Amino acid sequence: MLTSYYLNKEECKMKQYFSRLWTGLLITFFSFSFISSSYAIDIKLWDLSGRQGQDEFYELLQKEVKKYNPDINVIVTEWENEAYKTQIQLALNGNDGPDVFFNWFGEDSARLARAGLALDLTPYADMEGGYGNFISKGWQDAGAVDGKIYGVANKAVSKYFYYDPAFFDQHNLSVPTTFGELIDTCKSIKAIDPSIVPWPMGNSERWKLNHVITMLNQRVVGAENTKADYALTAPDDELFTNPKYVEAWEKVVELNENCFNDAPNATNPELTRSMFAAQISPMMYCGTWCGGIFASEGFTDFKMFRFPRVEGGADDGTVGFLVAEGLQVSAKTKHPEAAALVASINVSDIMALADAELRGSLISNAALIDQMEDAPHWFTFYVNDIADKSGHVNVLDVLLEANVSNAYLDMGTEVLNGTKSPQEAMDFIRKVALEAKAAM
Amino acid sequence: MNKTQTNSTGFSLSSDRVSVIILLIPALIFCTIFIFIPAFWAIVGSFYSYGMTSLNDWKWVGFDNYIKASQDEFFWIALKNNFIIVFASIVLQVGVGTILAAILDRGIKYGKVIFRTIIFTPMVISSVAVSIIWLIIYDPNVGILNSILKAIGLPTPSMGWLGDPDISIWMIMIVAGWQNTGFMMVLILAGLQGVSKEVYDAAEIDGATGVKAFWYITLPMIRNILIVAILITTIGAFKVFEFVYVLTQGGPSNATQVLGTYIYLQAFNLLHMGYANALSVVLLIIALILGWFQLKASRRA
Repeated sequence: MLTSYYLNKEECKMKQYFSRLWTGLLITFFSFSFISSSYAIDIKLWDLSGRQGQDEFYELLQKEVKKYNPDINVIVTEWENEAYKTQIQLALNGNDGPDVFFNWFGEDSARLARAGLALDLTPYADMEGGYGNFISKGWQDAGAVDGKIYGVANKAVSKYFYYDPAFFDQHNLSVPTTFGELIDTCKSIKAIDPSIVPWPMGNSERWKLNHVITMLNQRVVGAENTKADYALTAPDDELFTNPKYVEAWEKVVELNENCFNDAPNATNPELTRSMFAAQISPMMYCGTWCGGIFASEGFTDFKMFRFPRVEGGADDGTVGFLVAEGLQVSAKTKHPEAAALVASINVSDIMALADAELRGSLISNAALIDQMEDAPHWFTFYVNDIADKSGHVNVLDVLLEANVSNAYLDMGTEVLNGTKSPQEAMDFIRKVALEAKAAM
Repeated sequence: MNKTQTNSTGFSLSSDRVSVIILLIPALIFCTIFIFIPAFWAIVGSFYSYGMTSLNDWKWVGFDNYIKASQDEFFWIALKNNFIIVFASIVLQVGVGTILAAILDRGIKYGKVIFRTIIFTPMVISSVAVSIIWLIIYDPNVGILNSILKAIGLPTPSMGWLGDPDISIWMIMIVAGWQNTGFMMVLILAGLQGVSKEVYDAAEIDGATGVKAFWYITLPMIRNILIVAILITTIGAFKVFEFVYVLTQGGPSNATQVLGTYIYLQAFNLLHMGYANALSVVLLIIALILGWFQLKASRRA
C-alpha cells in the first residue's frame, strides 16, 4: 500500500510535470505561430522547370530579397512548359494562385493585363529595390500594355542555326547565308549520306515549325507588311491576303523535301536536340536555351549562324527572333509591394549576373556582365549577335490572337503532312483571322 | 422493427429513414459540390460568351454556342472520333476480353493465374505512363515498332504512326485496348465462372463442344455481363482524354480530336469558356443517356 501511495504521489508529480511541459510547449507554439503569422510574408513564385542552375538561382534570389525585406519567403514552384500555359490561367482565376509568375511577353502577358489578372507594376518602378533601378526603359517597355508596366522582363530568348563545324569542314560545306544556300547545304549533306538528316525537325508539339514560319514570314513578307495582319487591324479585304505569306509556306515545303526527317509531326523536339548533340545530324534550328542543353549532353564544339535571308524577300537578314520573358504579379496577391519587390530583385545587378552564369540567360540587366567568369562561347555569340541585329520579331504563337495562332500551328502540321497546300493553309488562316477580328 | 418518432407537427419518421438520410448526407454534400453545382454552372455558362481571363465579363449569347457547335467541323470530327473509339473499343476490349476470358476459363489447364495477372497488369498502370511508353514505341526515329518492321522488310508510314491523320486514331485505339482489355477479361471471366458446369456437360451430350459451346452456351449465359461490359466501355470511350492528349494532343491537325480534348482546347487554349461549356453539356447529355442504359442493364444483370 505504501509503495502504491508513493507511486501515486510520483505519478501525480509526473502528471503535473508533463502538464506544465505541455502548457509551456503549447504557449511557445502559439507564440511562434502568432509571431510568424504576424511577420512572415510568403510569396509564391511560379516558373518553368527544366533549366539548369535553377535551384541555385532561386536560393540566391531568396537571400537577395531578404536584404530588402527579411520577412519575405519566396516559395518557388516549377512547371513543365505545356502544362504551365493552362495552369497559370486557371490559377490566376482561383484564390490560391501564385503571387509572382513567369510569362512570355507579348499577347500572353497583355491578355492577362487587359483582363485585370496582372498587377500594374508602374508605381513600384522607383521604390527601394524597384525594377526601375535595374533595367533600361527599353526593357521595361517589353512588359508594357497601354503605357503601364505589367511585367518585369528579366531575359529574352532568341533562335539560331547550330551546326557541327567538324562535319562542315570535313565535307567542305560552308555556312549558308541565303535560303537557297541552305537548301543546297541540305542537298549536299544528303548526297554525302542519304541516311543523314540535315536538319532534324520535331513538330509533335506544333510550336517547332511555328518558330520557322515566324522567321520565314519575317524574311519573305517583312515586318512592315505583317504588322497590320498580325494585329488584326488590316481591312477585311486585305487581311492576310499578301501572296508573300503563301511564298513563306512554300519555303516550308522546300525545307520539308530537302532538309527535314521523315514524319516531323510525329517526332519529339527533345529527340531532335539529342540527334544534333550526338552529332547524328549536322545542323538544327534551336533556341538560345539549347546551347546549355547540347553542352550538358557532351557536345560543346558547335557553332551558330543566323536564319538566312531569303533571296528577293522583304528582309535583309538582320532582323532576328526575340521573345522577352519575365515575371508578372497577380492582381489578387495579398502582398503587392512584396511581390513587386521579388519581381524587381529578380533583375537586380547580382541576380542578372547569376541568371547569366547559372541559367545561361540573355539577361535584361547587363550592368555586371563584364564580371561574368568563363562565359561559354555560345553565350558570348548570342550577346554579341543580338546587339548587332537591326530589329526583332516575336514568335507567332505568342504574338497572334489565340485563334489565329492556333490556325498557324495547325496549318504547320497540315503543310508538313502535305494534306494542305500553302495556298489552302493561308486561306484557312485568313478565314480564322476574319472570324477573330469580327469577334473583337 | 421500426421505431417511430413523432414530432410536434405530427410528422413521423422511422429511425431507419432518419439513418438513411443521415448516411446519405456526406455523399450528397460531395456530389453537390463536385458534380451538381459544376454541372449547373456549365449549363448556365453555355448560354454566355466569356474566357478564362475574363471570368467577370459574361455576355449573354442564348443558344449561339450550340448553333456554333452544330456548324463547327472540328466538333463533328471529335464526335465522330468518339464513336469510332466506342465501336473499336467494344470490338477490341470486350471482344478480345471475352475470347481471353473464355480461354482462361476453359481453354487452358495450367498457368491461369499467371496469364490473368499478365493481361491485367496494364490496367494498374497510369494511363499517362502507358501513353508515354507507347509514344516511345511509335516514335518514327527510335521506336521499336519501326525497327521491327524495317528489320523484316515491311514498310513504315512515312508520316509516322501518330503523324498520319488516316491512321493516328487507330494507333490510339490500340493503346487504349492494350490497357483496358485485361479489365474486361476479368469482368467477363467472373461471369463465365458463374455458368454451371452441368450446362456444358448437358450440351456436350447434345454434341455442342468447343466454339459451338462457346457460341450457343457461353455467350447467351453471360449476356447481361456483356451488356454491362459494353456500356462501361462505351462510357469510357466518350470520356477518353488522357490517351489522346498525351499521344497526339488531338493532332495531327485535329484528326484525333475527341470531345474531351476539343473541350480542353476551346476552354484553355482558345479561351472560349462559354463554347466549351456548351460542348460539355452535349457530352453530359450523351453520358447521361448512356448512364441510364448502363443502370438499366446492370439491374437486369
